[in-house]
Amino acid sequence: MSVEILKEKYRSKVGEVVLGATSEQGGTRTNTVTLGGESTLPFLHFEGEVPNKPVVAMEVWDKRPDTWNQLFENYYGDVYDDPAEWAKKCVNEYGAEVITLRLQSADPETTDASPEECAENVKKVLQAVGVPLIVLGCGNNEKDNQVMPKVGEAAEGENLLLGVAEQENYKAITSACMAHGHNIIAQSPIDINICKQLNILILEMSQALANKIVIDPTVAALGYGIEYSYSIMERARLGALQGDKMLAMPTIGNIGMEVWKTKEANISEEEQPGWGELEERGLLWEASTAMVYLQSGINLLVMRHPRAVEITKSHIEDLMKDNSY
Amino acid sequence: MIIIGERINGMFTDIKNAISNEDPAAVQEWAKKQKEGGARYLDINVGPGSANPKEAMKFLIEATQEVSDLPLCLDSTNYDVIEEGLKVCKNPAMINSVPAEPDKMDRVFSLAKEFDAEVIGLAKNQEGIPKDAESRMALAMELVATADAYGISADMLYIDPLVLPCNVAQDHGPEVFETLRQIKLVSDPPPKTVVGLSNISQGGIKNRELVNRTFAVMAMANGLDAAIADADDEELIAAVATARIILNMDIYCDSYIDVFKQQ
Amino acid sequence: MGLTGLEIYKHLPKTNCKECGSPTCLAFAMALAGGKASLDQCPYVSEEAKEALDSAAAPPIKLVKIGTGDNVVEIGDETELFRHDKKFFHPTGIAVQIKDTDDVAKEAEKFDQLEFERVGLELVTDMVAVINDSGDGSKFKEAVETVASKTNKAMVLVSEDVDAMSQALEAVADRNPLVYAATEDNYEKMTELAKSKECPLGVKGKDLNHLAELSQKITDLGYKELVLDSGARETSQVIADMTQMRRQAIKKKFRPFGFPTIAFTSKESPQEEILQAGAYVSKYASIVSLKASEKQQLLPLVSWRLNLFTDPQKPIQVEAGLYAVGEVNENSPVYVTTNFSLTYFIVQGEVENSRIPSYILCIDTGGISVLTAYADNKFDGEIIAKKMKENDLESKVNHKKIVIPGGVAVLKGSLEDESGWEVMVGPREAAGIPKFAKENFA
Repeated sequence: MSVEILKEKYRSKVGEVVLGATSEQGGTRTNTVTLGGESTLPFLHFEGEVPNKPVVAMEVWDKRPDTWNQLFENYYGDVYDDPAEWAKKCVNEYGAEVITLRLQSADPETTDASPEECAENVKKVLQAVGVPLIVLGCGNNEKDNQVMPKVGEAAEGENLLLGVAEQENYKAITSACMAHGHNIIAQSPIDINICKQLNILILEMSQALANKIVIDPTVAALGYGIEYSYSIMERARLGALQGDKMLAMPTIGNIGMEVWKTKEANISEEEQPGWGELEERGLLWEASTAMVYLQSGINLLVMRHPRAVEITKSHIEDLMKDNSY
Repeated sequence: MIIIGERINGMFTDIKNAISNEDPAAVQEWAKKQKEGGARYLDINVGPGSANPKEAMKFLIEATQEVSDLPLCLDSTNYDVIEEGLKVCKNPAMINSVPAEPDKMDRVFSLAKEFDAEVIGLAKNQEGIPKDAESRMALAMELVATADAYGISADMLYIDPLVLPCNVAQDHGPEVFETLRQIKLVSDPPPKTVVGLSNISQGGIKNRELVNRTFAVMAMANGLDAAIADADDEELIAAVATARIILNMDIYCDSYIDVFKQQ
Repeated sequence: MGLTGLEIYKHLPKTNCKECGSPTCLAFAMALAGGKASLDQCPYVSEEAKEALDSAAAPPIKLVKIGTGDNVVEIGDETELFRHDKKFFHPTGIAVQIKDTDDVAKEAEKFDQLEFERVGLELVTDMVAVINDSGDGSKFKEAVETVASKTNKAMVLVSEDVDAMSQALEAVADRNPLVYAATEDNYEKMTELAKSKECPLGVKGKDLNHLAELSQKITDLGYKELVLDSGARETSQVIADMTQMRRQAIKKKFRPFGFPTIAFTSKESPQEEILQAGAYVSKYASIVSLKASEKQQLLPLVSWRLNLFTDPQKPIQVEAGLYAVGEVNENSPVYVTTNFSLTYFIVQGEVENSRIPSYILCIDTGGISVLTAYADNKFDGEIIAKKMKENDLESKVNHKKIVIPGGVAVLKGSLEDESGWEVMVGPREAAGIPKFAKENFA
């Protein structure tokens, strides 16, 4: 019996965004990374194009992360105080395809580093590694609005991905990306309507950012409302394929940050014997969260645990194998 | 619901003059303007009394295609004119239209198959336009079954239940809505549906635009997929965009009307 | 959805005899599709057509039950491709494998203890797959008996050897195990066996085409308690096959695929297996069978299954109670909010951001947000005061101050009266908590 394979005909596809720039392109990256471009739902190679595989970025802070689980000492303890070395270790030893540098030192509540110092940290990391770079602020809007223009300027030509723009605070970072040719993260709080509106607001400010927006729909960790963000992402992706251009951007998820806040990734086996050994549980919590979002179409995963990164990358290789009939 | 822009039609003086003077300016202006307004297809009609309708059709198509990549909806009761037009269309087009009459269906579905075109099928035959939904449905079924015999999938068909002016045929309104609902039961995938929107307000009806857009959103709620309409009517477009949101066809955002126009 | 007019029409005689009362067969077909006529009205419809139309009207995917009593696992009977369109109904069965060459008793005991408590819910691996790895029938039977004596969970018996399966079923047929698998080579006998014991039958094809053929042959033998396996073992191919089977069954009512499905992981490393299994849970597998057996490995998998199969129409709840954020002490601030999970997690995140260790008193409002719960009388002074007592707040902190959400500032008076505590009105939006905390508690 020959089964007539059912293929969906979608009207449109996800846009492509390129991160990084090589020397020919005016930057200093050894390679660039392209996100998006799918013309079907995740990994249905039999009916559409999945031209670019999802990419795993690893998270680096520009100051010692006091809040990270103790177990990360084993991997990053020797490089915690040097973001350049830390980034290098992620790329060379742990296979990071992109580095996410979080400028936590800028936090006015703690070290309150100046915008110039932050820009300097970005440059150091750029010198240390050849992969494309994502730069995130410390989370304090006022301060980030001072830091991002400096970072954008200092790294002009590198085609960074800068974050984050939010509905109530997008102008400063949009200007910085516009002026210095960077990509922008548009973050919405698990809300598809705000997600769409923010893309419109950014594009109203600058059409030049048309192929430079990456959506951060905000990802919940496994067990913490993940199905809610999963469905939002699935709906947004279906919308994009059906022709909604304001949702047709690649997506990013801060998997590591969300997962390593959870009980499941932090409570020891002594406290919770029913849950088994902590480290494997934590890294699987992180990799499983990544796995879930891969099935809803995520393009860029920001992660922390080296083993979680390793098995996630291997899982992505498996998913990218052709399955056409 | 998608809008098929109705304005490139020889019954309008500027298009009629464009044809006789072979001056594409007015045609191209309307092609662009209708797209900006929110049209997804452009209807092309040489109008009544054209001396050489085949040449006129080719002229309108070529003029339009120079400035727009929207698919075209070739509007004529003369199938030789449609055939000439299909030959010069760059993208798969739509044939407007065919009634449920065997010889005409044979001609049109053969053309559709050859040119990979969509077809508007009219719920009428030699005997005219039926009143009740059941009879309209029987004609819709005939169109679908005949297309199926030609290997044309039902989703390549747009069934037009045929709308009459609401002052002369008020009793047809509910029947049209009932037909729109039932058509989705005909096949899987079901055929699409289309109406000529302004027919509802022909013949000296007051508040024409209000009548048109009220009918449009009511028909949408009953499953209407497309309308041949005035894409320059901003209130209509806004009402359609809003109805699409309420029907969960597009994802809401504050600027949803602009998004609808741009897509 | 019922049959369409065109599908029905294809089965009608197309004679337009009018004896049914409709002017044409087309019109009659439409009347049937619209539920306004019944097939009996057509005197000339063939038996074959009747059967085809009847079976097309059945649910797109059959419900199949495996196991007995409280441990029965129900799979199939799904109607959606995306959970946001309605919901996914029957959670994937997670079947942990035990080989008949393992220390079966030990493994079975370990398996039976796999139960997790998370957010106040019991999560379990609900199935055990016993594999005839030895190729020996009596050894298989012995292993199956041992497993059956150690656990009441639903069983999958894995052997393509009809004799071995027959021996195993002698021991455990009354447990209603899944008999896996009928193949090209053994399907007649395996079907006969499963049918005689009234046990559900796994059907393993070589690819989708072959599976459809095999499934058709077995239903032609009169057995319909089936669970399908396309035979694919590579992650990407399994996802494609599962997607096709679900689509074909739901969108096309393609009968050979109108059954639940089973997938087997292929990864050697248990960690990679968990991701592979998780992807299969996401993309339509009704059962996933895997080797990983440690608690910390299975917990994320069963948690994802729980999350995916929740009803998107119902609010997601967290367990009510008193939560500590950070290293709390007797001076820590106390916030109160509802157990709508998004509300709670946002508040928790912002309290964390304030960097001041705090308590959050999470009130059971049936999973609705603060303002809705207030409007619904599920979040008022009396209820909050009662929960403060139940959670013994007085002994936890020494300050007798509690922060309520700014949106329900109106509760201040009644809560002060009910509890005797000082009530502080917090910010309207959770995002304001760090600033509020800094001004009041730093």
